[in-house]
Amino acid sequence: MASHFSGVLQLTDLDDFITPSQECVKPVKVEKKQGKSVAKIQIEDDGSYFQVKQDGKLQKLEKAKITLNDCLACSGCITSAESVLITQQSQDELYRVLRQNKVTGDNSKQVVVVSVSPQSRASLAARFNLSSTDAGRRLTAFFKNLGVHHVFDTGFSRTFSLLESQREFVERFRRSEQDKKSLPMLASACPGWICYAEKTHGDFVLPYISTTRSPQQVMGSLVKTYFAEQQGLTPQQIYHVAVMPCYDKKLEASRPDFYITQSDTREVDCVITSGEVLKMLDQEGLSLRDVDPAPLDTLFSSVCGNELMRHEGSGSGGYLHHIYTYAAKQLFGIDAKDISYKTLKNKDFQEVTLEKDGAVLLRFAATYGFRNIQNLVQKLKRGKSPYHFVEVMACPSGCLNGGGQIRPLPDQSNKDLLQKVEELYRAERPLEPEDDEHVTGLYDTWLRSVGEDRARELLHTRYHAVEKADSGLTIKW
Amino acid sequence: MKDSLTALCKLSGHPDSRCWFVAWNPSGTLLASCGGDRAVRVWGREGDSWVCKSVLQDGHQRTVRKVTWSPCGNYLASASFDATACIWRKKDDDFECVTVLEGHENEVKCVAWAPSGSLLATCSRDKSVWVWEVDEEDEYECVSVVNAHTQDVKHVTWHPTQELLASASYDNTVRLYQEEDDDWVCKATLEGHTSTVWSLAFDASGQRLASCSDDRTVKIWRECLPGNEPGTDTVGSDLSWKCICTLSGFHSRTIYDVAWCRLTGALATACGDDGVRVFREDPTSDPMQPTFFLSVHMPKAHSQDVNCIAWNTKEAGLLASCSDDGEIIIWHYQSEA
Amino acid sequence: METVSRLVSQIASHLLSLNGPRKVLESRRMEDKALEVYDVIRTIRDPEKPQTLEELDVVSEKSVEVQELGEEEYLITIKFCPTVPHCSLATLIGLCLQVKLQRCLPFKHKLEIYISEGTHSTEEDINKQINDKERVAAAMENPNLREIVESCVTEPDD
Repeated sequence: MASHFSGVLQLTDLDDFITPSQECVKPVKVEKKQGKSVAKIQIEDDGSYFQVKQDGKLQKLEKAKITLNDCLACSGCITSAESVLITQQSQDELYRVLRQNKVTGDNSKQVVVVSVSPQSRASLAARFNLSSTDAGRRLTAFFKNLGVHHVFDTGFSRTFSLLESQREFVERFRRSEQDKKSLPMLASACPGWICYAEKTHGDFVLPYISTTRSPQQVMGSLVKTYFAEQQGLTPQQIYHVAVMPCYDKKLEASRPDFYITQSDTREVDCVITSGEVLKMLDQEGLSLRDVDPAPLDTLFSSVCGNELMRHEGSGSGGYLHHIYTYAAKQLFGIDAKDISYKTLKNKDFQEVTLEKDGAVLLRFAATYGFRNIQNLVQKLKRGKSPYHFVEVMACPSGCLNGGGQIRPLPDQSNKDLLQKVEELYRAERPLEPEDDEHVTGLYDTWLRSVGEDRARELLHTRYHAVEKADSGLTIKW
Repeated sequence: MKDSLTALCKLSGHPDSRCWFVAWNPSGTLLASCGGDRAVRVWGREGDSWVCKSVLQDGHQRTVRKVTWSPCGNYLASASFDATACIWRKKDDDFECVTVLEGHENEVKCVAWAPSGSLLATCSRDKSVWVWEVDEEDEYECVSVVNAHTQDVKHVTWHPTQELLASASYDNTVRLYQEEDDDWVCKATLEGHTSTVWSLAFDASGQRLASCSDDRTVKIWRECLPGNEPGTDTVGSDLSWKCICTLSGFHSRTIYDVAWCRLTGALATACGDDGVRVFREDPTSDPMQPTFFLSVHMPKAHSQDVNCIAWNTKEAGLLASCSDDGEIIIWHYQSEA
Repeated sequence: METVSRLVSQIASHLLSLNGPRKVLESRRMEDKALEVYDVIRTIRDPEKPQTLEELDVVSEKSVEVQELGEEEYLITIKFCPTVPHCSLATLIGLCLQVKLQRCLPFKHKLEIYISEGTHSTEEDINKQINDKERVAAAMENPNLREIVESCVTEPDD
């Protein structure tokens, strides 16, 4: 079975493709009963388990259920995640909600929101020979025809992520004298990298990771708090779907940190990949070219006129680019307009430096893929990392090449497809995060109104080291 | 005169423990051994006997599974169940640990230097093969992590002259790797063994590769030049290797190691039935369908499983083996030919 | 003619008296060896439950087979039966069997351990793992696994 997760997750023993019943070793709490009798268990032909009671009667035993959260909190595999994901986060789930909306009364209908990432837009645009914006408009129509109420763009929430990352970096840089763990700041948008860091390098590496939420999870905040309030809805009355270039994003959406306990709902209910959107189109018997474009939902989208906008820098969100220019200006008063990337060991390890009078003021890097993450972490451990900020991504070539993107056609090489996706991504007009008045407006109204602490919660998150399994019963050898 | 195998010397290599592996240095003067006692020992000849010249301790927290010399002979690399590989630099008669390679998720099973000495490969139960690059300052950087195998990777070895890497796995396959676009990729999968492949050995030319397995056979694979030969056993593209010979029926238990003498072409095996065997190729047989015959069989060569067998790099016929009983034996092999 | 047939029958009875008992003796000796092996493994405790493998019917006398490999060397084959087909502890039980026999058997032997056919859903995988001596050696260097195995293989009166 081919894996969908990023290479980083596959390597860390997290993804072994065994079903929970086979090898999941997570201990399940069992209700203890009085008495010393030895329990006898009988297995029926259909695979169900019965406990034989002392009076000879049979009692059917419940199957232990493993949730995605259990998997994420366990240092064993997240294998079972694969099958759990299919039941909790897939296009089938979206279809189920849409079907239910059709048959239930108005009171129990859910408002369905789909937030599409710019990378997914580019991937679908490449498959159907459209421009990215055109793909965005047609996707809006496609989802709305299925019964989705709103289609947003996570480029919009990324503006928040970039602004927060910029401020966080400058703040960290300024306290780096006192706080040895404030630098280098490591990017936080890639869930594969976060999962790997939490499971493998725990408390050592987590303090370096930026606390800023990823665009997906900022959109989660926006939709389930601000938007819900505006619409007079409770968070669970909204079903929020994100369309992402990456399978690992499903794991991110399932993190307990992004679960609204009081409303018993996730900020992002379901993540489907670009490839799964293609499957939906196939299921409907449609080419995206057949779908007439609809006007863009401008409420939460980076738009100018009827055109979607992009951010400068890498196709992985442009974190390095934006933090670098902002820091150069804020910390050193330098306008760093031209950024030259120097390729180091390989194309997925690039460096950018800001120099003045021969001295290096800022040294940034972009490290993509597992091998480069390894060297970065090992350098950090040896105290030999020269960097102030690193844009870390689990996939080679970054998010445009994410594991959830549409695979090349039989006559197409992955390299050519990637180049095409990149060109389509870059063809949109760039927008400086500071220039988005809509976002500035939300900072002034929404975020100011909720208070500083709450605003921080809505835009930042926390990381948790996963304890290694220490019971011999659960160790795979 | 019949072919013969004579024990020259028995060394209590890793007492009260297993001896997992032995390796001759490039000049053939030193033998390194490693084992369950977490130590690496280096042995040298003094007169007619072999003595322990140095003990490399404190580098590893668990069993040292394999040890190997750099092509220049000035470094040793050791692979351990503690998930690391250590690089040791020779300093006079002693060795100091200069680098610890970390990153594998669990047991590192093997480590091997490329002929140039600037690349190193490691493999692990975590299913991955890593390629490392070393610079002039003994700094190692990971240049690639390849997840081609679906199980525990038992062994890695390099082609004698080219930058071609081979690995053997618990998934019953052998895989070959080359660099492509600044990354290492699996170029061929050799399928044929029906159980774990424990070890590999290239012949002197690098045109043939021997593999040994838990299925109690040795297979000889040969490189097929593009377009030349039909019916290859390789799956995948660019490289094409074909199994041209299977030695079956000779071994009664798992074959843990195979060694191809680069001086004489003799093929030796280490077996879980405690025996050491040497095979020779019938010089009259078709190179595309060679015949190997059992030249010598030494049953009960050791008192327990034989884990490793190694031909001396310079002195033809000099052979070292080691066993679960902790012993190392140095043999002299003589053939009538 | 009569003498010839007498001779034949004499030879035949001679052969019988020589070979028959030898075979019987031989198999008796292997049975004794098997019992000796069984005596070592029957008291191993289940990793999860307080009972021994014998009490849980994971092993029985019939689980052990011994063959002579050579002079004073034996091949021991053990087939055990995990309690449930999905039991994730089967590999751990295999590990306990390996470790205890390695330590306690007073004679030279080769050991093969298998799950009784049809008793486990991932039979082949488990058989392969518990007979891979490298995996077993590495597992026993894991302090947490070692602790469990030790507690299972230690005799209560040790």
